[in-house]
Amino acid sequence: MDRIQIPATDRSPAVDFDFSAGLLRISGESYPEDAAAFFGPLLQSLRAYLGQGGENAVTVEVALAYFNSSSAKALMNLFMALEDAAAEGRPVAIRWFYAEGDDTIQEAGEDFASDFSYGSFDLVTAPQAEEAHR
Amino acid sequence: MTDAPDLALDPVPRRNRSLRGGGPLRGDDFVALAGFADVAGEATETGMRPGALRGAARGRDLDSLAHTLFLRIYPVIAVVVLATQIGTAWVNYTDAMRLYGERATLLATLTARAIGRPDWAANPEIYRPQVQALALDPAFRFARLTDAAGAPVMTIGETPRTRSWDTVQTVAELTVAGEPAPVGTLTLGLSTEALRGNAEKQALMALGASLILMMAFVLTLHANVRRHVLTPLKRLLAAMREVEHKRWVSVDLGGAARASNEIDVISSAFNRMVDGLRSGDEARTLLAQLERAHRDLEGANRLVMESIGYARRIQTSVLPDRLALSEAGVEVAVLWEPLHLVGGDYFWLEQFDDLSIVVVADCTGHGVPGAFITLIVATALDRILHERGLRSPAEILAALDGMVRTQLRQDGRGSDSDDGLDCGICLWNRADGTLRFAGAGLSLTAIGPGGAVRIKGGRRGIGYPRHGETMPDVADVTVPVEPGQVFYLMTDGICDQMGNPQGGGRRLLGHRGVTDILLDVRDRPLSAQVTALDDALTAYRGGEARRDDMTLVAFRPDPEAVRSAG
Repeated sequence: MDRIQIPATDRSPAVDFDFSAGLLRISGESYPEDAAAFFGPLLQSLRAYLGQGGENAVTVEVALAYFNSSSAKALMNLFMALEDAAAEGRPVAIRWFYAEGDDTIQEAGEDFASDFSYGSFDLVTAPQAEEAHR
Repeated sequence: MTDAPDLALDPVPRRNRSLRGGGPLRGDDFVALAGFADVAGEATETGMRPGALRGAARGRDLDSLAHTLFLRIYPVIAVVVLATQIGTAWVNYTDAMRLYGERATLLATLTARAIGRPDWAANPEIYRPQVQALALDPAFRFARLTDAAGAPVMTIGETPRTRSWDTVQTVAELTVAGEPAPVGTLTLGLSTEALRGNAEKQALMALGASLILMMAFVLTLHANVRRHVLTPLKRLLAAMREVEHKRWVSVDLGGAARASNEIDVISSAFNRMVDGLRSGDEARTLLAQLERAHRDLEGANRLVMESIGYARRIQTSVLPDRLALSEAGVEVAVLWEPLHLVGGDYFWLEQFDDLSIVVVADCTGHGVPGAFITLIVATALDRILHERGLRSPAEILAALDGMVRTQLRQDGRGSDSDDGLDCGICLWNRADGTLRFAGAGLSLTAIGPGGAVRIKGGRRGIGYPRHGETMPDVADVTVPVEPGQVFYLMTDGICDQMGNPQGGGRRLLGHRGVTDILLDVRDRPLSAQVTALDDALTAYRGGEARRDDMTLVAFRPDPEAVRSAG
C-alpha cells in the first residue's frame, strides 16, 4: 500500500502512515472543521491495510497536543479497527505520547487505553509531546 | 551624394531638406510636410510587436544628427585637404620657378662668355648663330643683346613690353678680361607657361580629391551613423513610445544594427527600466484584483456574519433566563462563549417547586453545525422535563440519548450523522438538601471549604450511532453539599486552552489548571469568579487562538437551605 503523508496545518495533524514498515504516526493538533472528512480516508486506508492480513506488527504512535471531540470520535474509530485486528491475532502496539503534566491528554489516553484488551496501548510521557515526532 | 537627402531629413521642412538642396521628396517627406508625421507614426505603431520595431519610428530628430555631424566635420576636413594641396602646389611651383631661373642664367652666362670680345659690337652678326642657338630651348621666349651703352644690337624672339608673370628673365653681362666695365648685356627670357599648366592641373586634382573625399565621407558617415546610431536609437524611440502606452516592449539591438557601446548601455538601462515598470504595473494590477477580490470577500463575509448574527439571536433566545433559579436562593453565574457567535454549547436552568435543574451540554461541532444539535437537545430536554416529567439526572440523560439518536436517525435507519453530545445534569433539592448529578462525558467540579472535588460522569457521551453497543448505565450520584460550596459544570472548551505560559512548551491548561484558577478566586461572588476565570484563560492563551466553544455554569445552593437540611 502507498504510504500516506500529510503535512500538519494549524488545525489538522501531521500524518505519516508507512504501511510497509507497519508504522503509523499522527502528531500535532487536531480540530478540523470537518473531522469526518479528514479522518474518513485514513480510516478506510487503515481498514484496507488491516484487511490484507499478514503477521507483521503494527505500531501506531499518536502525539497530539490537542484534539476536539469529533477528532476523539475519529481516533476511537481508528483504534477500534486496530483492536479488532489485534483480536484476530495481529500484533498491535499503540504508543500514546503526552507532555509531562498534561492531564487532559493523559486522561484521554487512559480512556482510550481502557478499551484495549488484545492490542497494547502504552502511555508515554515526553517532555514535549509535539517534539516526540520531530 | 544621392544619399544625402535620406540622411539629412531636417526637422524643419522649409530648410531644404538635403545637404545641397534638391533631392526628390519621398513618401515620408510629404507626410512630414503636411504636419502629420507624428500622427501617422503613432497610427502605424499600434499593435506593433517588439520585433517589428525596426524602421517603424519616424525619428526625424535623429536624422538631423547626421546632418549636424556632416556640417560640423566636413568643412574642417575640406579645409585641411585643400590647404595641404595648395601648400604642396606652392612648393612645387616655387621650386620649378627657381630651376627655370637657374637654367636661364646658365644659358645666358654661357652665351655671354662666347660673345664677350672687345670688339664684338663692331660686327655683331657673327654671333647671331650662337644667340639663335638659345631658341632651341623649348621654353625660349626671347633674347636681346645690348652694347656697352645699352643700345639694342640684336633681338631674337618676341620681347614682352612689360615684365610678364609667365616669363623668367635673366641678364648676363658681356665681360672682357682686362676691361673693368662690361662691353654689353645679354637678356634671356624663358616662358613658364608649362608651369602654369601644371599648377592648374594640380588645383583641379586637389578639388577632385576633396570632392571624392567628401563623397566617401558622406557615404561612410551615413552608413555608420545609420547602422550604429540611428537604427538603434530609432528602435529605442519606438520602444519608448510603446512604453508610453503601457505596452511593455524591450529593445533588442542584436543582429544587423550593432549599436555603439554607449547606446548598448542605454538600451540595457532602458530594458531594465521597462522590466521595473512592468513588474510595478503588474503588481498594481494584481493589487487591484486583490482589492476587488477582497471587497467581494468582505461582502460575502458580511452576509455570512449577518446571517450568523441572526442565528445567534435565535440561539440565545432558547437559552434560559440566568435568574431562573434565584427564587430558590441559588446563586448562578454563566460563561457562555461560542467560538463563532453561535456554537454547540448549551445550558439550561429551570426551577420545579423545590427542584432546581442545571444542565450543561457540549454538542459535537461548533458554529452553525453545533448550534443545530443544541436546538435538537433543547427540544428534547423540553419534552423530557415537561411532557415526561423526568426528575432524575440519569434518567434524563438516558431519555435524551434516545431522543437525540431518534432525531438524528442514528438508530439503525441509516444516517450520515456521527454526532452526539457530552452532558452533565445537576438536580438540587432545597427541601431535603440533596444534590444529584449524572454526567455523560462531562464532570462536576465542587469547590468548598474542604477544597476542590471532581465528580466524573460516565465516559461516553450520548447520541452517536452505536454499533451493537449498549448505553453504559449511568446512575445518579448523590453529592454531599456543604454550606457555601460552589458547583461548576463546564464544557471541555474551558479546560482545552492551548498556551505556553511559562515558556516550557505549548500544552493544554487542563482541568487541574482551571480548578487552580477557581480555587484562587473561591471567595468572590460567582459573577466575579466567572470574570476572573475568563481573564485568566485569555492570559493563559497568550497569542494562541481559542480552540472550542466554552461554557461554564457555576451555582451555589442557598447556604441556609443546606444548613437547615443538614
